[in-house]
Amino acid sequence: MRRYKFYCCILISVVIVFGHVGKLCAQDIRLTATVDQNILTLGDQLRLTLTIHGTQDTAPPSFPVIEGFTLLYGPSISAQTRNVNGVVSVSKGYTYVLQPAAKGKFSIGPSTVEFEGKMYSSQPLTVEVVDKSRSSDPQAPDLEKLVFVELSVDKNEAYVNEQIILSFKFYFQKGLPVSDINYSEPTTKSFMEEKLGDQRQYEEIREGVLYNVLELRTALFPMMSGELAISSAKLKCNLIVSQRRGRNTSSDSYFGDAFFDDFFGREQKRYPIERATNAIALSIKPLPEEGKPKDFKGAVGSFDMEVSTKTQRLKVGDPITLSMSVYGEGNIQTIQEPALVINKEDDFKVYPAESTTQITNREELIRGRKVFSKVIEPLKPDLKFTPAIVFSFFDPHAGQYKTITKEPIPITIEAGEQELPIQLTLSHDKPALAKRQVQLLTEDILPPMANLASLRNQGHPVYRNPFVMGCLLIPAVAVIASFMLTRHKERLTSDVGYARTRRAHTVAKKRLNGALSALHQHQQGEFYSCLSKAISDYLADKFNIPPASATEDKVIVLLQQRGVKDDIVEEVSRSLTDFDRRRFSKDSGTWDEMEHSLKRAEELITKMERQLS
Amino acid sequence: MKICSVIPLFFLYSLFLWGTQIAHGELSKSEMSRDEAIKLFADANEKYLQAIKLIASKNLPEADQKLKEATEQYETILTGGFKNGQIYYNLGNTYYRRGELGKAIVNYRRAARFMPRSVDLSANLRLAKDSTEDKELSTEIPAIVKRIFFWLFFLNQNELSLVAISLYVLLMVVLFFSNICKYGGIKRIFIGISSVLFIVVVSLGLKIYLERGVNHGVIIASKCEVRYGPGEEYEPKFEIHNGAECVIEDEKNDWYRVYVKVGVKLGAGSEASAGEKTGNEVRSGWLQKKYVDTI
Repeated sequence: MRRYKFYCCILISVVIVFGHVGKLCAQDIRLTATVDQNILTLGDQLRLTLTIHGTQDTAPPSFPVIEGFTLLYGPSISAQTRNVNGVVSVSKGYTYVLQPAAKGKFSIGPSTVEFEGKMYSSQPLTVEVVDKSRSSDPQAPDLEKLVFVELSVDKNEAYVNEQIILSFKFYFQKGLPVSDINYSEPTTKSFMEEKLGDQRQYEEIREGVLYNVLELRTALFPMMSGELAISSAKLKCNLIVSQRRGRNTSSDSYFGDAFFDDFFGREQKRYPIERATNAIALSIKPLPEEGKPKDFKGAVGSFDMEVSTKTQRLKVGDPITLSMSVYGEGNIQTIQEPALVINKEDDFKVYPAESTTQITNREELIRGRKVFSKVIEPLKPDLKFTPAIVFSFFDPHAGQYKTITKEPIPITIEAGEQELPIQLTLSHDKPALAKRQVQLLTEDILPPMANLASLRNQGHPVYRNPFVMGCLLIPAVAVIASFMLTRHKERLTSDVGYARTRRAHTVAKKRLNGALSALHQHQQGEFYSCLSKAISDYLADKFNIPPASATEDKVIVLLQQRGVKDDIVEEVSRSLTDFDRRRFSKDSGTWDEMEHSLKRAEELITKMERQLS
Repeated sequence: MKICSVIPLFFLYSLFLWGTQIAHGELSKSEMSRDEAIKLFADANEKYLQAIKLIASKNLPEADQKLKEATEQYETILTGGFKNGQIYYNLGNTYYRRGELGKAIVNYRRAARFMPRSVDLSANLRLAKDSTEDKELSTEIPAIVKRIFFWLFFLNQNELSLVAISLYVLLMVVLFFSNICKYGGIKRIFIGISSVLFIVVVSLGLKIYLERGVNHGVIIASKCEVRYGPGEEYEPKFEIHNGAECVIEDEKNDWYRVYVKVGVKLGAGSEASAGEKTGNEVRSGWLQKKYVDTI
């Protein structure tokens, strides 16, 4: 896998290299000479750079003849390869550092180089050496020369609506670090504007100095004739100049070494720069009246037209869409619809055209295409052609009007069926009705209500209905009851004393029933045992004490502590004594006495239940 | 507590409520039956429609007669203790047709208590209010308040009561099952229902207060002087006209102490132009009871 990748990389590299070689071969060879400054003082140094563009495989160019300068050192050689949008450009520079020997204007003669048998020479330069520095700050750069702006137009005279190219150029000497660029566009009243492409960036030599240029271009279309002005454009930026830190110049001999500058760093100083261009005056001529076609609608430029239709076989009333495409150079936006040459008004029903505009080229000039889709309906079956189409424009280069006429397109029309009332578009002849607010003609009350089914007496509020409000208690009672019941059940399972207390009476009744059955069976001992147990177990349950410990003395104390009436306490004491005595003696009493004892025990338990509940 | 002891309590409570109603005189009158009310109502509607046809045929005296008869029949139903929003609405319509704006507005307002959602009623009331002379009078509740407390204005008293009762029963059911089931999620349901119930009960109380606690009235005379005190001997303070609404604060003999919202022109200039800003001002005074009909 790695092997394949390696071969792929090599293959791609070869393709790229060979692909560029072709372009390199096609590149022009030229030699340029530039200086870093063309006015300098005797103490300055001049950097002369001879650059061979288009190749790097040449011998060094010949050193030019230079008067008034001595060569300090050089050349230092630099090779450069640039790839801009796939276009590779190469160059090789030879830089010499010269020392002026005298004041005055000196020319630097052309340098020559030979490449593949051809000789190439650079342009001569002129350099002026002056006496002393013009600036108070010897370290401050000559900003006027380093950075400047220009505003220009491609023509100073034009016709109304003719395309004029406005160009703003920002020059700054190559290698200068410029930042914070703020561009204020010129005021172009009375013009329509279209931006031309992106910002351009290139190099340009001015008076022997190499500048970087940023160019912004705009297409202007004057909307009126007369002397029109374009105000100046302004540009603000900061120039960043590296300077040595504030050290004594006398000691610079030692520390002024580049090594120390690199080590300690250089101070970067920002010079705010503001530049303004000159205003431009333009003379705009009106379009000539002579030779103006009737169908001329203001198009100025160089245009052509194409016309087509999709359907050529149709029925009466069927729509035909004519596609009319006007294209060329000029103000595409303002192109008006071409005219149809209709012989008889009732031949075709014509609808307004819809248009789409497309700017196809913005690089050099505004070029584009405006397509008009016009729907027409043939109204007669004997029509053989669509109307001819005419478009007129003024050609400013030729200085005259031109008319393009497209011949009618043949069509075949069959007899139509009944026209369907489908409205596709609105024609100019029959403008759309203006929307208006719906107005109330009269205001009146709405009719009476007569819903007898819902006619019920609403006079009694629900909250005043005693039955309803009474019923509201039911759920509350149910909730309270459920709450108490749940609580009771919980206590029965969790609280033994409570459970015994609750069931004491029931258990006592069972024992009394046992006594009754013993009575019927004439078991006297068992009878009195049941009675005694009924009372003592009842009291044991009520006081939550073990049944065995419910002796007569203890229960009497407990009854007194619970505040039971004395007569009941005495009766309990007496009954327990009496029942125990009769239980173990032979004198168990008569039937009536036993029945009386049972009744007495029942009443006693009932009394205690009332007292202890 | 045993069920046997609850039942007498329930009857005692019902008896108490019944007694309070008798004390208010609400059950003392013998009410008109529904069948009778429907018969009269249908008859009155028929007369109203006949009147409309007569108006269309420019037979105004006979139309007026028919409208009077319809009015009497509607009034008969209402005085018979049978109250319904439709009857008040139709009665308002007959008064409107007869040109008695004040009485029309009173009856529309009464109908609105039973039919708060009726669009027709709102339209007729707006039209009647627009026809009044004192156009700046405004006792309407702001729309934003109506939107926020929509249930208060969307439901009438009885509907709100039924919602409250339903929520109460639901709450009790939840409580009942929470006692039995001991399900943890029921607590949240309980909190939710009880919160809504609280809001509904407060709303119901507020609605009852607004409709019964505060006395609203409408001027039914063509012109009415509001005086500084309860008597003819007091100077007139301002005058209001047929259909103007007021709030009754107090009463003394044959006089009501009322306050009304009146439109006043803002700014010092007395001769203000039509485009000038106006604002509302509350003015109070005394007027005779015969000029006012309470809602």
